[in-house]
Amino acid sequence: MPTSATSNHPGRPEGLIGRLNSANIPYEAKLKSLRDLKNQIIGNRTKKIAYLKLGAVPSVVSILSSAASAQGCIGDSREFHDSVLIQSAAAIGSFACGLDAGVKAVLDAGAFPLLLTLISHLNEKVADAGARSLKLIYQSKLAPKYDFLQEKNMEFLLSLLNSKNENVTSLGASIITHSCQSTLEQLALSEAGIIKRLVSLLGGSISQKDASLESLAAVIKGNPEVASKFMGPESGRALNLVIELIKDKHPRTRLLACMCLISIRNTSTSYLQDSGIKSTLVLVLLELLGDPGQVGDEAPFVLSSLITEKEDMQKIAFDANVIDNLCENLNSVSFQAKRLQGTFLALGDLCSELECCRDRVLDSKVLNFITEALVHDSAEVRAATCIFLKNASRSVKNLSAGKFMNEAIAVPLVQRLWDSSTPVQVAALGALCNMVVDFTADKSLFMKCGILRHLVVLSKSMESAIRVSAVWALKNLAFHVSSRCKEEILSELTSATLASLISDPEASVQEQALSLTRNLVDGTLNSVNYVIGEDGDLVHAIGKQLQSTSKAEVLIQGMYTLSNVASGNELHKKAVMTQLLTRAGNDSETLMIKSLQSSDSRLRTATVWTLINLTLPNSPDTSTRVTELWSAGIVSQLKNMVNDPCLDVKLRARMALGQLMMFGDALT
Amino acid sequence: MSLFGIVIRQLVGNQAMATSKKVITRADWEKKLNDVKVKKEDMNKLVMNFLVTEGFVEAAEKFRFESGTEPDIDLATITDRMEVKKAVQSGNVEDAIEKVNDLNPEILDTNPQLFFHLQQQRLIELIRNGKVEEALEFAQEELAPRGEENQGFLEELERTVALLAFEDVTNCPVGELLDISQRLKTASEVNAAILTSQSHEKDPKLPSLLKMLIWVQNQLDEKATYPRITDFSTAALEDPAT
Repeated sequence: MPTSATSNHPGRPEGLIGRLNSANIPYEAKLKSLRDLKNQIIGNRTKKIAYLKLGAVPSVVSILSSAASAQGCIGDSREFHDSVLIQSAAAIGSFACGLDAGVKAVLDAGAFPLLLTLISHLNEKVADAGARSLKLIYQSKLAPKYDFLQEKNMEFLLSLLNSKNENVTSLGASIITHSCQSTLEQLALSEAGIIKRLVSLLGGSISQKDASLESLAAVIKGNPEVASKFMGPESGRALNLVIELIKDKHPRTRLLACMCLISIRNTSTSYLQDSGIKSTLVLVLLELLGDPGQVGDEAPFVLSSLITEKEDMQKIAFDANVIDNLCENLNSVSFQAKRLQGTFLALGDLCSELECCRDRVLDSKVLNFITEALVHDSAEVRAATCIFLKNASRSVKNLSAGKFMNEAIAVPLVQRLWDSSTPVQVAALGALCNMVVDFTADKSLFMKCGILRHLVVLSKSMESAIRVSAVWALKNLAFHVSSRCKEEILSELTSATLASLISDPEASVQEQALSLTRNLVDGTLNSVNYVIGEDGDLVHAIGKQLQSTSKAEVLIQGMYTLSNVASGNELHKKAVMTQLLTRAGNDSETLMIKSLQSSDSRLRTATVWTLINLTLPNSPDTSTRVTELWSAGIVSQLKNMVNDPCLDVKLRARMALGQLMMFGDALT
Repeated sequence: MSLFGIVIRQLVGNQAMATSKKVITRADWEKKLNDVKVKKEDMNKLVMNFLVTEGFVEAAEKFRFESGTEPDIDLATITDRMEVKKAVQSGNVEDAIEKVNDLNPEILDTNPQLFFHLQQQRLIELIRNGKVEEALEFAQEELAPRGEENQGFLEELERTVALLAFEDVTNCPVGELLDISQRLKTASEVNAAILTSQSHEKDPKLPSLLKMLIWVQNQLDEKATYPRITDFSTAALEDPAT
């Protein structure tokens, strides 16, 4: 809007703020301006932002503050003061409604304690206005966390929940929903008798029901002790109340009742597991997915919490045609951020395990929406889309069929590797990890997008989450490819970088770097030669890591890498021998013996395989190595293992022993 | 509501008996109807529910006095709600918005669709009064940002602005926006939102009972010939055609 024309118009923001701040105008005029301001910003995000920029919030808060401290007046002026309190509290609440910047401004201006004093005001309408505004503030993540562990605070909370004023009780419940996070807080609330009070609110007004359902979900979530208390002796009743509410007339109440029940069933596997309630939850949520408003925006998130990592629930959802409904959502939402994000998350959950779900999703042309969703303004949408792609591409069948191999997906997905948001980068890497596996059909497409270069740069990122995923993707890229492709990967990455990734401070990065090396040296002698080269620095790095780590996964990947190297030429085998027979620091045992004595059968298997590769009878230097191994005590160690509880270890140990004995006969 | 149950059970009973299309005489039908007992208090509650939901305060007060039926909501709140409704019906939308905000500021802050429809109604009133410039400015400043937030709103806004393109609105394809029915539609949307915010049903029960009656009669028509009600204002039974 043109600023030049604004100052003369009475309703314009600048003039209005001027009147609010002016000391020279009568209070009646101020009240009118306050009310004007409130009526302009309610429901109007643009106006809220405009007034925020003009500093309206501190002006309103200071009016509230002076009106609040001028209590005790009588007659007309009391009514007037109350109106000022109501109008200023309502304006503050509206600034905080659905706008985090507004919440921040309201908190910064010190409105919070002022609003708290209004709750106990004798005039019910003033108390209403204060409670409403606080409730709106508590709907934002930015609201201050309430400390339940202080006795005084708990008493105050109970007084709110026991209030006769509907807005005040709802405020109490909103405080719990916002602030209850730790197990300790959940227990404290439960011990203070909050649950009983919340259950009684389930019989109240719509807003009390909704607020109570949401807080119950928060108090129970992930806490079996509180859940069992809720289910306790007279529990059947409380639970039945919630179950009844999933059939309530109001969509929001139905949604929150589902959320509450899901919170209970995800907390303990002994509650709400019968097939009746499972399919009811799916059907209720299915219907809510079609809601045009906020409920429909939130429904896919609640659905996701119901089905995530639960194959049985995913099957029920599949049978109920949830996928078709979610896909329809994509057709009609015209790319509204929240709903789009939820839809992709729920679709991602559905595709995480079941091939039938993936097939249905791919048949429904969801992929047509991907290109646009990958460049959506909202980072949450972009991340959710990548997560969906990751799960949908977990299918060998679809990957082999080249379902994801087209520029409309590959190009924007590779671009997401440089997204401004780290979670999006990580999610995009996750999707690419799957897509580059065995993509024999059309490998050139990703290479053409420069994926190799991107991954190498990201493998040096400061964010460990990104390093891990980038190396993981490189590992998958190197899986079963030609030596030429391996050479290409290594020359871009360099063995120096690979060595430093093997010694990364993060164990998860070490593991991926080791298995990348394992994939690179897998196969022909050529591969081993190219990767390990002459200097053996990489083998040294691997050995050093194996000596210093205690993480099973790192040890296993490292040992398998050595095993692959040990299948190379005499120089390679020699380098591996050196590592196996090293004693690190004060260790009395060699790496070899330690690994063979590991309690992890997978590590024992890998180590025995390495020994087998080192003692293959047709290699020229095998007899020298056998001598060294004998003197390092290998024979007695292997003899202990011929009856290993793990069948694989047992067979391989016998095989290794057999090879050793062939040469060993000469030694004895 | 028990009343629904009784009527439906009765009618379903008739259905079950009919193997081919059965004829039920007026005498039989009336006898059956007489067997259905509907409590007077239930009928009264139904009437009170209608009066309260539709906002007939005076009638509700009188009915309470005469029948002793207690309304399920404070009658004083009806007055506020009716003022809002009347303001929209008479085209004073700005006034209505201010009144809703005084009643409960959360209603319009958390209900974007309703807020948009009220603003749209304001625009319609400006156009109706020939304030073209003001209408354009209002559309641009107040409504366009909502259209950016929501594709559906944008389409509705475009439809509304199209009113300005026609000198003679009787030929305008979106001319119905200027009808009184549009005001009534908006008014009833506000009314429903206020009722919901007060934890009250947004629709009276009586119309759904009527709908149910029509549905049940249609079902029954396939199986039996009976004295049906065609004129709902008198509820007179018509003799079955033979």
